[in-house]
Amino acid sequence: MAKKNARGNDEVNGNVNLSPMIDCCFLLLIFFVVNATQITVAKDPSVKMPSAVSCSELKDANGCIVVNVFADVDKMSPKALEKYNKAYPPNSLWGVADANGNSIGYTTGQIQELTDFIKKQKESLKGRGIEDGKIRLYLRGDLDAPWERSSTAIRCAAAAGVTNIVFGTLPSK
Amino acid sequence: MARHKQIKTEEQEDPEMNISSMIDCCFLLLIYFLVATSLVSEKKLDISIPASTQSQSSQKPPVEPGRIVLRADGSVTWNGDMNVADVYNPDAQPGSAEYRAQRQLDQLVEQLKNYKDLASSVQSEPVVMLTGAPSAPHQRIVDIMAALAEAGIKSVGISTADPEGK
Repeated sequence: MAKKNARGNDEVNGNVNLSPMIDCCFLLLIFFVVNATQITVAKDPSVKMPSAVSCSELKDANGCIVVNVFADVDKMSPKALEKYNKAYPPNSLWGVADANGNSIGYTTGQIQELTDFIKKQKESLKGRGIEDGKIRLYLRGDLDAPWERSSTAIRCAAAAGVTNIVFGTLPSK
Repeated sequence: MARHKQIKTEEQEDPEMNISSMIDCCFLLLIYFLVATSLVSEKKLDISIPASTQSQSSQKPPVEPGRIVLRADGSVTWNGDMNVADVYNPDAQPGSAEYRAQRQLDQLVEQLKNYKDLASSVQSEPVVMLTGAPSAPHQRIVDIMAALAEAGIKSVGISTADPEGK
């Protein structure tokens, strides 16, 4: 008889209450969905972003033509250098991503090609119905990059007819 | 009698919904957003450079454009002679007093605000010309842009000439 009782206890099903876990999951899911809208422009990990005290949120990345400006390779961290070497040809000073997400690097001898790329991007954005005034150059300059490189990118944008410039920054610590 | 008993048993059964597939989907979405979200979002500083069509007027502007010069050592001058920021130290530790002082160009902001007030008093748009040494670090330019944004000046002309004449 006692044996039968023990057997009965073994057969009791243990139910785990999953509802608090599902609640937490939903909360986290909503949090990440809301935050995910902040991802607006393609971020190149080879660029160490500068920081600024008075900067504002980039709410709408539509119309942004992203140009990365690289520092000298000796100023890059080993991880950034590895990614730079993998994505861009040697001596690239400016980096962009084409419509398919492929990285393209431009050297000092390819300033006209960079201008043509910006011009092409501008035409493509206009073709998608974005107004002229909303087309901007999003300059992601490395904090150690010499100003000469950033000003060259701005000059290329001006030659391509893009006069609104957005400097990519991080909030100051 | 037997029929009555059977009906009673069926009524007492709790309806159950299988939510395991929904939980699977939720987890998948959660992992996706967790990986894709970057919490430190990039910010922006807007400027607009005067287009060639804007400078065709032969009339002299009521207020001369302000001139900011950034030298290769990171020092900044306003309107030629006034030193508004000292030599830049790129090795300053983030969070230190020196780092914060380098980011906030208080003297420049003050001068820019005065200039903006002067331009507003004659119903003119404040325009600033920025000349940077080719070897000056990009971070210093962003500091100047932040000062311009703080003063509320959005129209910036960028000169590519070397201020030190090298």
